[in-house]
Amino acid sequence: MKKPTTPLRRAIALATLMTLAGAAAAQAPAKAPAAAPASAKPAAAAPAAGPAEKPQYGGSLSIGANFYTLSALSFDAADWTWKFNNDVGLVYEHLFVGDLDKSVRKGGKYAFRSDAFIAYDSLRGELAEKWRLLENPWRAEITLRKGVMFPARPGVMAARELTAEDVVYTYERLAKSPRKIAGYYDYVDKVEAKDKYTVLFTFKNYNAEWDYRFGWGYYGGIQPKEVVAAGAADWKHANGTGPYTLENYVQGSSITFRKNPNYWDSEKIGGQSYKIPFADTITYRTVKDESTMLTALRTGKIDILETVRWSAVPELKKNAPALQFSRALSTLNPIVFLRVDTKPFDDIRVRRALNMAINRAEIVKAYWGGNAEVLAYPMTPDWPGYYEPLSAMPDSVKETFTYDPVKAKKLLAEAGFPNGFSFKTQVSTASSNDADLLAMVAAYLAKVGVKMEIQTMEYTAYLSAMGTKTHAPGYMLWLGGSNPTVSLRKSFVTGQYWNPSMYKDPEFDKKIAEMYAEPDERVRQVKVKLMTREILEKAPFIALPTPYGYAAWWPWVKNYGGETRVGAERPGPIHARVWVDQEMKKKMGF
Amino acid sequence: MRTYILRRLLALVPTLFIASVIVFVTVRLIPGDVIDLMLSQNDLTASSRTREQLIAALGLDKPMWEQYLHWISRIVFHGDMGTSLWRGTPVTQQLLERVPVTFELGAIALLVGLAIALPIGVYSAIRQDTTGDYVARSFSIVLLAIPSFWLGTMVMVFPSIWWGWSPSVEYVPFTESPAKNLHQLIVPGVVLGAALSAITMRMTRTMMLEVLRQDYIRTAWAKGLNERLVIVRHALRNALIPVITLVGLQVPLLIGGAVIIEQIFVIPGMGLLMLEAVQQRDYPVVTGVFLMVGVVVLMVNLVVDLTYGLLDPKVRMR
Amino acid sequence: MAVADPPIGAVAAPARRPRGFWSRLFRDKPLGAFGAVVLLFFLACGVLADVIAPYGFNDISPLDRIQPPSLEHWFGTDNLGRDVLSRCLYGAQLSVIIGLSAAFLATLISTLIGIVSGYFGGRIDLLVQRFVDAWMIFPELVVLIVVVSVLGPGMPQIIGILGLGLGIAGSRIVRSAVISVREHMYVHAAQSIGAPSPRILWRHVFPNVLPPIIVLLTTRVGTAILAESGLSFLGLGVPPPAPTWGSMLTGSGRTYMFDGPWLALAPGLCLTVVVYSTNVFGDALRDLLDPRMRGSR
Repeated sequence: MKKPTTPLRRAIALATLMTLAGAAAAQAPAKAPAAAPASAKPAAAAPAAGPAEKPQYGGSLSIGANFYTLSALSFDAADWTWKFNNDVGLVYEHLFVGDLDKSVRKGGKYAFRSDAFIAYDSLRGELAEKWRLLENPWRAEITLRKGVMFPARPGVMAARELTAEDVVYTYERLAKSPRKIAGYYDYVDKVEAKDKYTVLFTFKNYNAEWDYRFGWGYYGGIQPKEVVAAGAADWKHANGTGPYTLENYVQGSSITFRKNPNYWDSEKIGGQSYKIPFADTITYRTVKDESTMLTALRTGKIDILETVRWSAVPELKKNAPALQFSRALSTLNPIVFLRVDTKPFDDIRVRRALNMAINRAEIVKAYWGGNAEVLAYPMTPDWPGYYEPLSAMPDSVKETFTYDPVKAKKLLAEAGFPNGFSFKTQVSTASSNDADLLAMVAAYLAKVGVKMEIQTMEYTAYLSAMGTKTHAPGYMLWLGGSNPTVSLRKSFVTGQYWNPSMYKDPEFDKKIAEMYAEPDERVRQVKVKLMTREILEKAPFIALPTPYGYAAWWPWVKNYGGETRVGAERPGPIHARVWVDQEMKKKMGF
Repeated sequence: MRTYILRRLLALVPTLFIASVIVFVTVRLIPGDVIDLMLSQNDLTASSRTREQLIAALGLDKPMWEQYLHWISRIVFHGDMGTSLWRGTPVTQQLLERVPVTFELGAIALLVGLAIALPIGVYSAIRQDTTGDYVARSFSIVLLAIPSFWLGTMVMVFPSIWWGWSPSVEYVPFTESPAKNLHQLIVPGVVLGAALSAITMRMTRTMMLEVLRQDYIRTAWAKGLNERLVIVRHALRNALIPVITLVGLQVPLLIGGAVIIEQIFVIPGMGLLMLEAVQQRDYPVVTGVFLMVGVVVLMVNLVVDLTYGLLDPKVRMR
Repeated sequence: MAVADPPIGAVAAPARRPRGFWSRLFRDKPLGAFGAVVLLFFLACGVLADVIAPYGFNDISPLDRIQPPSLEHWFGTDNLGRDVLSRCLYGAQLSVIIGLSAAFLATLISTLIGIVSGYFGGRIDLLVQRFVDAWMIFPELVVLIVVVSVLGPGMPQIIGILGLGLGIAGSRIVRSAVISVREHMYVHAAQSIGAPSPRILWRHVFPNVLPPIIVLLTTRVGTAILAESGLSFLGLGVPPPAPTWGSMLTGSGRTYMFDGPWLALAPGLCLTVVVYSTNVFGDALRDLLDPRMRGSR
């Protein structure tokens, strides 16, 4: 067969080239790429922040918030989803909020990184102007701010002022919801609007979490009745008193918010008061893949990334040297719970022995690169006043955190297992971290003769196993502590959902109840510390070191220091106080 | 011709019916209720009282056959596919948001795949067993052999390090801003298309080889006809007929199987919707997506069959 | 074994398969030969992994984490200090198992369905094709998640579902080959002298359908291995610490791609080379064994 002549070859080649060239052209970068790779990085580091600069208005913020791999779960507060504040905390406000003036950045002592811990003395009133606790009977009297407006939302409501009725309405709707957590508001007798701006909560008994459960917690966002009437599930109807309004929602991609021009609050910078918010739009991006999110941060498509894995930081520092970082303990702790209602974990010696067999220092150094804390559960250092470091603990606790395989073997032999035993541990496929971490744990246990069989399960099936209490004797969980009282209650009170070790001690349950009824915080703190010691001694779990995580942001993001929550999973008010130095951003080439 | 179309359409109905029942039932058999998942999202204990409240609120307390009848009748008579268990918004609305995205990504991938596969396939056939053939084929097969998630990751990460550039992670509908839309979708479309091109390339090559050996082609050579005319007018047209069928077969891959690409490039398409819904046990969404995917695939197959019938009269006789 | 008349102008059909095949492969299809050699090498690695691997696949040594390739560790170490070369060798073993098992299962299913449907025709054919159609519109992902959720993630489930999915899809190819054979004279001849169906199937139909089946088998191996790697990315693959190339690439490969590029390069290259080889070898097989297959869908 004779060879084809050149015109044909040329035609085919040309067609191919044109197609590919067209594709390449469409994806050409908006800005001209730098000549050599090295100079593509922003030239200068951020200019040093001298005396507080004057904030600029305008610009937009693109943020990868905590849990950026998950889309919004629901826009209806009555759905009782934990992610509500994380999604729409910029739109719906609470009675109380963490006071950023008390943050470490401004000279205070709070990092505002914990998922649901706002110390009582770091609270300020958000919708509440002032409040007071009264006794006999226990009551909370809240006086609302005046002149706080719901903006107009076409098809939903006209602009109007927030009143006490709105608070009462929200509470009653939450309390009546079929998705409510059982017993959550049992301590409340009634809620009434005493006048236009005063709400009175009457309690049946004192509950230490009263300010958390409806004041700044997961479920207290004030949603007006007009939104509910129009259909609260639809994002298009969302409307709250917050600094931003919900402009657009693309499931699986982003939520976009637009500035509320009539927002009531202001921020003091450099001694002067400025009305907030500063940025015109804020977008929360949902990205399932970590590499993609880090790439977006690297190329300036994301201004703030609230969670950056420690191992990604060195590369980011190299390729995007202008980025600023702030380190904080992860709010999730890796724990292997041991079912105390099964053999051999009903024997405290066995449980303590397993703890002694783990070389935590090596895990910190080799697995987490030094970025982890050995003791951060059930109390974490981020809860000052409630946390006791290992050095302050009694010897019985210190012993379980000291690596001593010889003693472990001895204890096991004492308990009747001179040759060890084997047990199954369930873990979910959700994070590849788990598998590697557990492999290390299994290796340590193998050295003392204990064989850990790892069973990987799909996430929902894994969760159901715990929910139905049919889970394996070992159960690995990344558990969020939330706050001191919740941390002890949810995992160690009999029958609780998040109690995979099946811990059951009526005395302990009583102590928990007393803790809740104690109105004096200092007394409560002592109780919490004692109960923590007790749990650590009894060791119904193997606590693994808790890693540090980072928050990263570009230098044109101002008035921000890596704080991530001023409510329960609520970053909104922090973002509303951030301003964008648009000139700096342009000068750096973004 | 009309009876052919009608017959093919009628054949769709039982297929869809069987498939819908199977998916409806099997998804509900997966252990790990949506109830448990919802309860786990909350702070405190899940007492049995709360479980029952939740089950009733979600309408999951009725027997399965009743749920199925309820669901299928609503679709057939009202076009309503139910409401998402998590979001409380209509499933139809969620689907309609995702369909244009998947469609666009699929179209780009298909075009890119063809743009790569056809020239290489023809070239390989004409230059069979030469070095050029081997190189061209190898290029195409290597693209197939690299796992798509790895190709996607490399394409996403390395340009950001070398040139400080990455594709956009924000989805903007084409109607709103074609430039921004393509800024996000071109790269993943090319990656997806490149990976699929090997299959089409192979088919093109074998079909060209087959056709080029036919008597009537030899006659055309012998007659001294212009080479380009021979290839394009006679060989290519006949060779491409089965290729069209192949394109039709790739559509399911493009719809459901683009999940990996969607995940890496943040594309809110149907693949991710399906994955998320199954992970959350959002039954109405899963069954709705499945039905939609099934309908689209069957429609495409129908169109492909009809086109095939148009091009090749022998087929119509069957 | 009867051989059908090759179409005019086709390359001369092989006289008898065992003899001359390999020399024809190396002479006429060097690319395919290269693929065959590579596959044999990986097969050997997989089978002999326990013997030739210098370390275990789960020998954790945290202090040696992320070491670049050296004399002690030819492919370096991963984030837990495990030897990457050993893990790749055991990965080859897993790929051999998964790939071959899934491919065999798939080919078996394709053959059964294709022969039954194609040979008997009529209502059986219609019914079976309806079922195949219904299956083909299943997003494979849903089926996979269902199976993985019900039975838990694990190798048998993945092999089963990959085999089933690929098998049903491939049945069309076998079916059309069977149909084209069915029409040939010698089958009619056999039927007219009253030979029983099983005999016809075995003596006449099957041997002529064998070539496409062999090609299917070869290419399915690569497809199965690739599919498992995709599943690993979505979290549905064979669970760790099993060192499948897919999970190595997805896990430590992507997370530590800057600290240790070898963590991704090693399994990535293995995957790519093996899948490439199966494809290239399968193509060569197809060209050599059955020129007729070029025309089938």
